[in-house]
Amino acid sequence: MLKALKWAITGAVSAVMLMTAALAGPYDEYVGETLYVNFPAHPHFDAVMRILPEFTKETGIEVEVDQLPYLKMRERQTLELGQDEGDYDLVAYVVFSKADYVFADQLENLARYFMNPMLSDPAYDPDDLIDGYVYNIGFAGGNKGYLEGKTGSLFGIPYGSETSVLGYRMDIFEKHGLKVPETYDELLETACKIPELEPGMGGLSSRAASGHHASHAFLLHLAPLGGRVFDDQWNPIVNNEQGVAAANALKTIVDCGPEGASSFGFGEALGSFLNGDTAMFLDTTVVAGQINDPSKSKVVGKVGWAMHPMGVRRGSQTGGFGIGIPRNAAHKESAFLLMQWLTSKKGDKLVALAGGNPSRFSTHDDADVNAKFPHMATFGEALKHADPDWRPIIPVWGKINADLGTTLSKVLTEDLDIQTALDGVAERTRAIMEDAGYYTWQ
Amino acid sequence: MKAHFLNRVTPYAFLAPAGVIMVIALLYPLGYMIYGSFRDWDPSQNISETEFVGIKNYITLFFDPAFHESLSVTLIFAGSVVIAEMAIGVGLALLLDRNLRGMSILRTLFILPMMIAPVVVGLMWRYMYHPTVGTFNRTLKSMGLQGVDWLGQNALLSVIIADIWQWTPFIFILALAALQSLPRSALEAARIDGATPWQQIWYIKLPLMMPVLVVTGLLRLIDAFKVLEVILVMTEGGPGLSTEIVALRISRTATEFRELGTAAAMSNYLLILLLILTLAMLAFTRIQEARTARLARQVQEES
Repeated sequence: MLKALKWAITGAVSAVMLMTAALAGPYDEYVGETLYVNFPAHPHFDAVMRILPEFTKETGIEVEVDQLPYLKMRERQTLELGQDEGDYDLVAYVVFSKADYVFADQLENLARYFMNPMLSDPAYDPDDLIDGYVYNIGFAGGNKGYLEGKTGSLFGIPYGSETSVLGYRMDIFEKHGLKVPETYDELLETACKIPELEPGMGGLSSRAASGHHASHAFLLHLAPLGGRVFDDQWNPIVNNEQGVAAANALKTIVDCGPEGASSFGFGEALGSFLNGDTAMFLDTTVVAGQINDPSKSKVVGKVGWAMHPMGVRRGSQTGGFGIGIPRNAAHKESAFLLMQWLTSKKGDKLVALAGGNPSRFSTHDDADVNAKFPHMATFGEALKHADPDWRPIIPVWGKINADLGTTLSKVLTEDLDIQTALDGVAERTRAIMEDAGYYTWQ
Repeated sequence: MKAHFLNRVTPYAFLAPAGVIMVIALLYPLGYMIYGSFRDWDPSQNISETEFVGIKNYITLFFDPAFHESLSVTLIFAGSVVIAEMAIGVGLALLLDRNLRGMSILRTLFILPMMIAPVVVGLMWRYMYHPTVGTFNRTLKSMGLQGVDWLGQNALLSVIIADIWQWTPFIFILALAALQSLPRSALEAARIDGATPWQQIWYIKLPLMMPVLVVTGLLRLIDAFKVLEVILVMTEGGPGLSTEIVALRISRTATEFRELGTAAAMSNYLLILLLILTLAMLAFTRIQEARTARLARQVQEES
């Protein structure tokens, strides 16, 4: 009798447990876990900080954020990711870290998470994620090793990504009856016309300081003007006709830019536009929030946005950050849940409304987001032309980038001949590539 | 026997903690750096996974024009700042070595720049050098003069000026301390013999201060070879490589180029250079001391 009762109770308890499991929400198993994540100090991630409490409320998973300056972040991650057990469950990485982290086998391949029905949300809609961003920031192993392609797979999801758009002063353009430039010829012509029309004002503020800044500015023009750093066989072609045209464009922009433009980093270039010293700004979308912030900007309400002008093709930049799960993370599954929540349609809209950079096409078209940030639709349009291959993402890029940037700085400040300068870059790049084994198959 | 043994061992036992700390804190990292400089080492790799490449890193650097340029920028920078700072610092100390009212406040004011964090110094100067809104160009323009392209055409000079501003107080404070500890009798004797103030400086004060000045100059020189933050914030080494001193190149090689082995080799080159300079300076002081001692002996013998 007792035995039968025992069996009945055990059976009943098991049935209840099974039912609970069947009815349980996707987050229940992880309630009370604390995730340690590493984000950069950056306007997008400041917006993320504002929406994280919503995630905890919805899922019961706590999140502790280690926010670091983004250059420091990479150093910290290099140390953390190399250990047997890391401190971070989720990291935001700068786009050019992708090559290093994936190559060193430090990021989780996301396939097994998206294949897991207990973790993967069927309503996630991955096709809505912006293609250029996904292939530039999240993808590895495809064409050229770092792009979309049949052999590639996903290691991260773009989050806090950005493209390039042209900001222009509507009041100045209206005053002088100027047309918003749509092509590179028009851009350069307008950039040099403005200092004549508005004495003391520069045409376009661009980064140009030695190193990363000058290189970034050059590459911004190289893709639309039809150039690339390498051909399909990894031969440097930065010194071809298109490369020279891009360097010439940069030089013209700096020469017709505000005073001292040749030493401008990103901060100074943006500062001079916010200060009203230049009529145009061709750089990242991430600045849009600051331009209409009266405490930082003297040009509130005066700035219009247009697509990155076209050369022989459209090719706005793709960059910024992605989020990935380190191989040595302690809470990989809940980290995936956070990642999925942040980049879901709901999370993306929330972060966009909080002032972040959305990663989805639908968020750029969303009525609420556009009501708050009217430029979002233009940004969405620009993103359709975002070029994931405007800059190579290979482990040796840091060295090539630095050489390109310092050499271009010499072009801008010491009047070094452009062709000679780029020939030098190509020659040194070839040596670096040779050393890294890129010509093994030639 | 036992007591004898204990007596012999005791000093070593007392020295042991210091020895252990020195081995852990100084020799281990140094050894690690030297070991790393012989390897092809990416920061994502554990040092045990790296490949031994012999002296390849040293050879590559030896023929690397960018490294040569960095090295020459470093020598020009360090040479200029140390000479200028020594001249101004010692000059100021000679001027202010007297009982002025409010001297202690003045002294505190003078050493303020030294106490400011280097990143702040860099930012401050970067904004003062700003082509349009910077203090210097606005002042020049308000006087009807042309603005100067400080961080563009004159970047190296600009960072030298900023370093002189920050570190002259260091020389000043040590030189002043040296001056105030000089034997008053020698100066009084010189005054009684009718030496002019210039003669007092040239023949009495400076020679007596020399040992302190040599050490001060050496400390500054070593430090000037390693300046990083101020230049990083002001120019990031540009334009071109015109302000990229070796310390900055080491940092970029390690973080941007991700070549820890080459960065370690570069640090070793810098270490060797500093070691040679230090030894040369110490040898110079030794020779000076020997000469003074010889002269003193001669004077004694003659009298």
